[in-house]
Amino acid sequence: MTQSTPIIEVSNLNKTYQKQTVLEDISFAVSSGSVLAIIGPNGAGKSTLVKILLGLETPTHGTVLIDGQKPQVARERIGYVPQRFTFDRTVPITVHEFLMLAACEEKEHTRTSMVDRALQEVGLPNIADHQLGALSGGQFQRVMIARAILHHKDILILDEPATGIDVAAEKTIYDFIRKLNEERGVTVLLISHELDIVFSFATQVICLNKRLVCHGVPKQVITKDVLQEMYGHLAGAYHHHCDK
Amino acid sequence: MFDFLALPFMQRALLAGIITAVLVGWVGVYVVSRRMSFIGEGIANASLTGVALALLAGWAPLPVAILVSLLTAAAIFIIERRTVIASDAAVGILCTSGLALGVILLRFFQGYQPELVSFLFGNILSIKISDLVVTEVFGVIVFLLLAFFTRQLTFMTIDPEGGYLHGLSRWGYDLLLYSVTAVTVVLSIKLLGVILVSALLVIPSSISKLFSSSFRSFRRNGILLSVVIVVFGLFLSYWLNLPSGATIVLFGATLFALASAAHLFIRNQ
Repeated sequence: MTQSTPIIEVSNLNKTYQKQTVLEDISFAVSSGSVLAIIGPNGAGKSTLVKILLGLETPTHGTVLIDGQKPQVARERIGYVPQRFTFDRTVPITVHEFLMLAACEEKEHTRTSMVDRALQEVGLPNIADHQLGALSGGQFQRVMIARAILHHKDILILDEPATGIDVAAEKTIYDFIRKLNEERGVTVLLISHELDIVFSFATQVICLNKRLVCHGVPKQVITKDVLQEMYGHLAGAYHHHCDK
Repeated sequence: MFDFLALPFMQRALLAGIITAVLVGWVGVYVVSRRMSFIGEGIANASLTGVALALLAGWAPLPVAILVSLLTAAAIFIIERRTVIASDAAVGILCTSGLALGVILLRFFQGYQPELVSFLFGNILSIKISDLVVTEVFGVIVFLLLAFFTRQLTFMTIDPEGGYLHGLSRWGYDLLLYSVTAVTVVLSIKLLGVILVSALLVIPSSISKLFSSSFRSFRRNGILLSVVIVVFGLFLSYWLNLPSGATIVLFGATLFALASAAHLFIRNQ
């Protein structure tokens, strides 16, 4: 796959819930192998857009194609790290067992080595026997990333992956995601409120506020006017990131 | 002391009890993990309609009760997913409606019904050979379904979104779990009774949850505890000449109280 081939195509996407418009006329394409950041204020429709890309929600109008297929068909090609994982922490399940649920097709010893390798890659080599419910927020988030990369995925969608992670672990995570993108050609979609990360990490950005406010290279399209349109009177907090 | 084990009715009760205990212990792990304990109560109550229908028509009650419980489980499933009604409300509405319909149907039946009383409160004497055959056949089917789809059912219990993204059907495995829960509950009714059956769905797995460090041990201990509670509960009910369902449930509840106290003690050490 080349850099210019669109792996995700969104056309005229609309989503309404009980007459409330959540997404309005969204169109964009994501090139294979690129890193796309999605930014926008709370309630801008970012999570709804991700759910539609994953096939968990259906659009009211418009189409979404993942490499020419509907998301429901292509869903196994996507690794996903949610912002919050609604899990009953009192249920006794080990990290190893949790990851083994996702590593389904191969033989037992292959699955175990897949799990060990994934934990190694996210910097948690010794927690396979720990209970999932006893992990810290940061460890939990890295286990979710480990699960997302157990199998080779063409697309990785991360919904604020650094939530609850300390600075050192955050760097490890982003370095690892960058490596996945550069070495394995994984297309990355990243929802983030941190413009530093967006500028340093993303090749493309879409600014969302129910409709598409901007789309392009971050340094070119994220301007004070765009931030003003998205965040209103709170935009000042982000202005130091913009030259224009 | 164990002479009663030679009695045919006790042998039937023990065999049916062990089969249903394995299933109830296994299904209970998913029920407790999903916090849907009320479903057992709802399905058991609704199955009374099936029992009443069968008694009126002169059919075998257990297969009809299984059919009604499967329809109830499917209705709960559809209401949960297709409307804004929450799971507990859906169970509450269908459970009471099923019970009410059962009571109305039984109004048309003249005279005392020992079969009905055994369904309401459980009775080891009432387990006939035909009931044992039904229990064995459906028990094997449910056991095989649970064994074959363990990973999928566990995945959709722990992380339904993750399971879907790894290729599992979003609704199929939930419907399967509701169905096997419905059949398991009905198979246990003769032993425990409509009113008490849901207790065995939650007590063994709740005790197991206190002391398990992995999902595998949670499931294994839940099944073992369920068998222990049913077998010793049956022995106690015979020795003390008490109703089987109530004795099994009270024995299980006592074990739960002791286990909870021990767990608190260990945690505070």
